[in-house]
This record gives sequence, structure tokens and C-alpha cells, in this order.
Amino acid sequence: MPVTEEPVVLPDIDQDEQSDSRESLEPGYLVVCWDDPVNLMDYVTRVFQIVFGWPKQKAEFHMLQVHNQGKSVLARESLERAEHYVHQLHRFTLHATMERDA
Amino acid sequence: MKLLQVKGDTFVFELDKQEKILLFELLKLYPLVPLAHHRLSKAADPKELAPAQQLLEEAVAEQRQENKRQLLAMLNDPQRFEPVERGFRLHLTGPQIEWLLQVLNDLRVGSWVILGEPDYDDLKHLKLALQNPRYFLTMEISGQFQALLLHALDGNA
Repeated sequence: MPVTEEPVVLPDIDQDEQSDSRESLEPGYLVVCWDDPVNLMDYVTRVFQIVFGWPKQKAEFHMLQVHNQGKSVLARESLERAEHYVHQLHRFTLHATMERDA
Repeated sequence: MKLLQVKGDTFVFELDKQEKILLFELLKLYPLVPLAHHRLSKAADPKELAPAQQLLEEAVAEQRQENKRQLLAMLNDPQRFEPVERGFRLHLTGPQIEWLLQVLNDLRVGSWVILGEPDYDDLKHLKLALQNPRYFLTMEISGQFQALLLHALDGNA
């Protein structure tokens, strides 16, 4: 299994603290991709590369994690950014959800 | 259908008349995935996330509408399929292939949903194909076209 680094997550924090809720600024949601028997492995790798801008090796690592372990946590994000990533993954018809980080 | 050559940023595929008919008939089925299939969360209280869930479904619906528009434009573009002696040459740029992969994946996943979301083992059983050959074949053929396009992209990364 290749060793890969965790994604460096830099949330877009607006300096105007009055307009953003505390929750929206704190990374607290996991973006999870779930296994299914229908999405092609090469397609899933490609989608991860497009959506997260990952190199192929890292995208393959997460694809194999989905395939072998049933799911992979792709990112830990604020509510808004987690929603954004889930929307993107659904555009490509992947089985992805956002779950509150316990 | 096979990749013939890559000219600059354009991929040229060759397909015979039957393959073109098959691709057209397949693409006419788009979209197949029910909107309700797109779930934002597994664990969260549905009431809590209802507005966000609605937003997701609206975003997917909007994307599909745009995909459908582009699809019709592609199918009706006389330049897209160049007639040659043995069939047709299909010209696609890299971004157009990425987009077509999305459309084909909707057809593949949508067929699988219609088939009852069978697991790995059930997908191998002939019984499933016999129960609903239309969608079983849609799922399989979409996957074949996807594999070919992915191979073309991967070989020219």
C-alpha cells in the first residue's frame, strides 16, 4: 500500500467574522466515498483527481481504500466545503456523503 | 469502437455503423439515475439536512439539464461523426471525453439502480440479465464505452 500524505486543507475563511457562523468556519465534516459494485475503478480514480486535484497515486490509494474497505474518508472540511465536494462527487455519480466528525 | 489517433488535443475514434447506432440509442436514455438516489448524508437527521439535501438535488437536476442540452447538440452536430468508408470517425477533445464519461456513468449507475442495486455476486448471475435485459445491457455497454474512453485518456496523459 503506497504511503500518501493527508490532504492539506485550507478552508476559505472570510475575514468578516460577523457574516459567517462559527460552525461554517470549523472543519467538522468528513467527505466519505462509499463502495458500490458499479463505478469503474479507473473512473473513480479519475474523478478523485479532477475533484480534489490529487496526483494519480493518491487518487488510486483512496479508490483502493473504497474498494477494499467499503469506504474512504476523502477530506475533513467545514460544512460549506464538505457540501461543495459532495456536490462535485455526485455530479460524477459517485456514492459520496458528508458525515459529522465525531 | 477504437482510438485511431490523437491530433493535438483531439482524440479520433473509429466506430462502425452499428456501434454508432448503439452509442446514440444509449445516450438517448440519459438521465437514468433518480434524483432521490443522491443523498447528502447517511447518518445525519434528514430533517436537519433537508434544505441542503434539496440544494443537492437542485444542483444535480440543473447539471443534468445542461448535460442533456450538450448531448443533443453533440448528437445533432454533423461534424462530430465524420463518415468514412468503414463507418464513422468521432472527434472528441479531452474535456469532451471527461464530460461524456459523466453521462455514460449516469447511464451505468442508473441502470444498476433500476436493476435493484445488486451486489458484486448478483451482478454475475445470468438471472439478473434475463430479468431485465434492457437495463442490464445498458449498464454493461455504458461500462464498455467508459473503459474505452478511460483507456484513451490514460494512454495519453
